[in-house]
Amino acid sequence: MKTTRAFIVIAATMVVATLAVTPVNVLGQGFKPTRAVDVVNHSRAGGGSDLFARALVQMLEQEKLIPPGWQVLNKAAGAGAQAMAYLAEKKGDPHTISVFTNTWVVTSLTVKETTYTIDDFTPLVRMILEPTVAVIKGDSLYKNLKDFVEDAKKKPGQLIQVGGTVSSVDNLFRNLIQKTTGAKWQYVDVRSGGERIANLLGGHMHIYFAQPAEVSEHVRAGNVKIIAALTESRLEGLPNVSTIKEQGIDVPIITQVRGAVGPPAMPKDRVQYWEGLFLRLTKTASWKKYVKENEVESAYLNSEQLGASLKELSNQLRETLKEAGVKVVR
Amino acid sequence: METLQNILLGFAVALTPVNLFWCFVGVFLGTIVGILPGLGTPATIAILLPLSFQMNPATGLIMMAGIYYGSKYGGSTTSILMNLPGETASVVTCLDGYQMARQGRAGPALGIAAISSFVAGTVGILGLMLVAPPLARFALRFGPPEYFSLMALGLTMVIFLAGKSMIKGLLAALIGLWLASIGTDTFTAEPRFIFGRLELLDGVDFIVATIGIFAIGEVLVNLEEKTKIDLFKVPKGLRNLLPTLQDLKDCRFAFLNGSVVGFLIGVMPGAGATIASFLSYGLEKAVSKNPDKFGTGAIEGVAAPEGANNSETGGALVPLLTLGIPGSNSTAMLLAALTLWGMKPGPLLIQEHPEIFWGLVASMYVGNIMLLILNLPMVPLFAKILRVPNYFLYPVILGISVVGVYAVNSSMFDIWMLALFGILGYVMRKLDFPAAPLVLALVLGIRAEETFRQSLIMSQGDLSVFLTRPLSVIMLLTAAVLLAIPIFRWTQAWRKQTASEEN
Repeated sequence: MKTTRAFIVIAATMVVATLAVTPVNVLGQGFKPTRAVDVVNHSRAGGGSDLFARALVQMLEQEKLIPPGWQVLNKAAGAGAQAMAYLAEKKGDPHTISVFTNTWVVTSLTVKETTYTIDDFTPLVRMILEPTVAVIKGDSLYKNLKDFVEDAKKKPGQLIQVGGTVSSVDNLFRNLIQKTTGAKWQYVDVRSGGERIANLLGGHMHIYFAQPAEVSEHVRAGNVKIIAALTESRLEGLPNVSTIKEQGIDVPIITQVRGAVGPPAMPKDRVQYWEGLFLRLTKTASWKKYVKENEVESAYLNSEQLGASLKELSNQLRETLKEAGVKVVR
Repeated sequence: METLQNILLGFAVALTPVNLFWCFVGVFLGTIVGILPGLGTPATIAILLPLSFQMNPATGLIMMAGIYYGSKYGGSTTSILMNLPGETASVVTCLDGYQMARQGRAGPALGIAAISSFVAGTVGILGLMLVAPPLARFALRFGPPEYFSLMALGLTMVIFLAGKSMIKGLLAALIGLWLASIGTDTFTAEPRFIFGRLELLDGVDFIVATIGIFAIGEVLVNLEEKTKIDLFKVPKGLRNLLPTLQDLKDCRFAFLNGSVVGFLIGVMPGAGATIASFLSYGLEKAVSKNPDKFGTGAIEGVAAPEGANNSETGGALVPLLTLGIPGSNSTAMLLAALTLWGMKPGPLLIQEHPEIFWGLVASMYVGNIMLLILNLPMVPLFAKILRVPNYFLYPVILGISVVGVYAVNSSMFDIWMLALFGILGYVMRKLDFPAAPLVLALVLGIRAEETFRQSLIMSQGDLSVFLTRPLSVIMLLTAAVLLAIPIFRWTQAWRKQTASEEN
């Protein structure tokens, strides 16, 4: 008994002593990385998230917001699963963050083997929203998405949409539109964006829901045309393209999100550092140029807002995935 | 006339001292990347991207492309010397290249690989220069049914890789097809055969499987036969270390075959150098007067796939530069680099930025000459590596394999997979199963399944889709003819035998 009591006293004294000598900035706002940070992503070199992570690091360096030397790490297995597992291992490590997309949410919902889900991580910031547009071959007769849908109603199952995996935003949109309009068409999953455009240009498939930057050069060359924006309002860069709702097709809009998350249970001061850093980035010329060139929407949210937004996205995706016939496990 | 002017413009860009320097840096790094297994072209380009932001886009592209085609030269080195494929497209080179090394002909094998790479690489650039736009439009006629037929044609190569027993060859191919089915079923997003391991969601890593089966398997088998101390004979004298005139003559057709097959396959987005090298090897064996020589150290068996592997680069740049469509991870990385340099790669690139396209084309001629000059003198040097005693050589091979495999995904799981495939390779060798059909089926199986199912979705389940599209029919017929060749040979041999017995 005595020894226990003595131990408690000593321990308490030590805690108080530690608190007294600890510099304020460790407990307060002053966190700053002391060495180069690893930025994790779930793509292979050259993939979407890989490029986003590299662009972030490049812009931060260019704007002198960070010292040079930050590394981009590729953890590509399992559509986000490996990246999530890696980030979870880094709990407590102040020098690792990761970029994420909708894929993390979808993988969390559909792959029962994943040990971690998007909810396990500390939300840091949302950076961009990527709009989706409906694209057809340049010499196709459809003037808008409505024409395509009407034609699909006339010949059910004969028109073909090319896109990513069944759980991608493209296929979710297809299911939503099919459900609202009663039209039916096929969906073919083609592995890479390049091959999807090749299939569209070759006339093997009829429509592709793409990101504007993927097809802008083909639009300029007249090879393809954009017939609808799958967004709430018209896109700044495409003022003449009407939105899906303007065309009379009323579906919920799903948007591809890109941002950053940290390891589980990140202390408040570190979160504040990342919020501040990325907020400052969004004010720079490099960022504005990036947003314009890639035809995305700059859409900063802080940690708390992102957390709420991710919950909402998770619920929306869960419902849509179920409707799309994908097995949801969580 | 216009082409000539354009070429002059290209050389004016390529021959500036700055571009020459970075071209050399690119091909030199590429050679090293090719030699080291695991470290691939896309990863190297990614690492070097920040370095290139200060460059002008033409210079950057010249250097990055140098890494890309330079790595194709280096890939054969460890295949020939250690049965260790430096990159996926060099797997076929192991078959005859390593046998040549065991017979003391490592020098000629390395030499012919460099020469064939140079010849076919140059043909690939010629193709890129002269027929890029029309060929890119032709490649667009390849939809899923055509790709499936191409994969089916590729899978018939099993009969040329089977070696002594056709049944064992087919069994090995079946195992390969099963391995190809591991991972996420993309059509339903359901995992298949992953045994609860997340790492398997993306399927079996091809480079891990090949290094395990070929390199680790070989080391294990040789360790067991420790009575033989001198595994390799390395002749003295420079003359014996380079290919002879007769060797070059034997490879005449292989040069042509490799150049054409490689370039054409390269143009198809998503087909890739590995398929090109397997196809040209199969074609070489199919037309050879001594098909039995293949697999025991036939020099054509090194020249054809190495050529195809290199002219594929020229082909792969066709859809990238004329349409902005990348067909592989390496070309996707080049596309990404162009975008990050502020270019807009797409169908208008050649028209609006002729200096980029023609500068690159011209630099590739220069780069290929640099590579030949860089690689040929290294042949005797590399060939002497085999004088290193086994107790030293084997740990080195194991070390390179483990580091190389770890470098791909920095994942410990891959090392365990490597060990597993090493044991598989050992068992297969012991039971006399050929390894190449397994690897071929693993590579083609994924694409074959994908394109088969895509085709059937397109046709709403109607199988006639493969027989109503002309290109698809042509390829399926070619596959049928190739399948008939060994049957024809067997019946002939059987006839001869019965005839001699009657006499």
